[in-house]
Amino acid sequence: MKFTLVKDIKGDTLMRPLLGGLLLFSLLFLTADIFLKNNHMGLTPSHLAQTLYGDEEAYVEAVSEHFLLELMHSDIFFMMMTLLTLSAIYARLCQNKTIRIVNINATMITALLTIIFLPLAYYYSSHFILAYIISFYAWHILAIFMVFASLFYLFIPQKSDF
Amino acid sequence: MHQSYRFAIAYFAIFGMLLLLSGTLLFISKLGLSYESVSLFYLGNPEKFIMAKSSYGLLEIALPHLGAMGLFIFVTGHFLLFSSKKEKQKAILPVIVLFIAALLDIASGFMIIKGWTFFVGVKIIAFLSLQLIGLYLLWVLFSLTFKGIQKYRTS
Repeated sequence: MKFTLVKDIKGDTLMRPLLGGLLLFSLLFLTADIFLKNNHMGLTPSHLAQTLYGDEEAYVEAVSEHFLLELMHSDIFFMMMTLLTLSAIYARLCQNKTIRIVNINATMITALLTIIFLPLAYYYSSHFILAYIISFYAWHILAIFMVFASLFYLFIPQKSDF
Repeated sequence: MHQSYRFAIAYFAIFGMLLLLSGTLLFISKLGLSYESVSLFYLGNPEKFIMAKSSYGLLEIALPHLGAMGLFIFVTGHFLLFSSKKEKQKAILPVIVLFIAALLDIASGFMIIKGWTFFVGVKIIAFLSLQLIGLYLLWVLFSLTFKGIQKYRTS
């Protein structure tokens, strides 16, 4: 978190490639997560319902409670670490205070909602499946936006730099 | 401190609490919280067709946890470096106990399958300490950050 203390991170010769690399890896992580979840569980209502509840006609068994808990447990860890780092970089680089706070809050809240909606869909009702998918895509899109915005502020000279 | 950082840290604390909750549910559903159920999980029972755990099986679980738990405790604790001296002092003991509890929690499984059944109790105590002290530390972090957000708004 040293970058939160360095005054001119754009001017720092080591900090720029370090943050650029980290942002690139965050982008790859977020993209890979979408592909993996799509393949593993499904990100359409019918595919996800088949994974969660099983489908006798297609000979698909429902996922176990252990599987779901393990998935959520590891997901929460990666989410919290990725979003914390990403928010800290974004907060440091984005100059517009309102956009910065709204975006960080929106990303975090939608990410939290995915954690809430998945068990609700599994234990209570299939109505939460669509809510889960929407919040899943929302936090990924918002986080990817934060990555691109940070890359933009980091590498493209701004008026305030001169 | 930037107001945006405070938000990010407050959400980190909420995610941390959810991480502890999911870990607890996973522990209860897989191992249970009684001496017998934890022994059964590690040592198995041929009559009930439950296999004993192997060292490599435990290593597969231990490996990601060693990295993740160390990082999690460090990140949570290091945020308190930005707090007052009094709050920092209060966090020293919980952080040390958390590292020890995490280590015992991970190592106990290996000890149990080597026949040291005394570590079944150690495993349960270490796990409960990890959850409760972790929750306490996250709560301290959340309340301090939340106070910071409120203070900034009123000023």
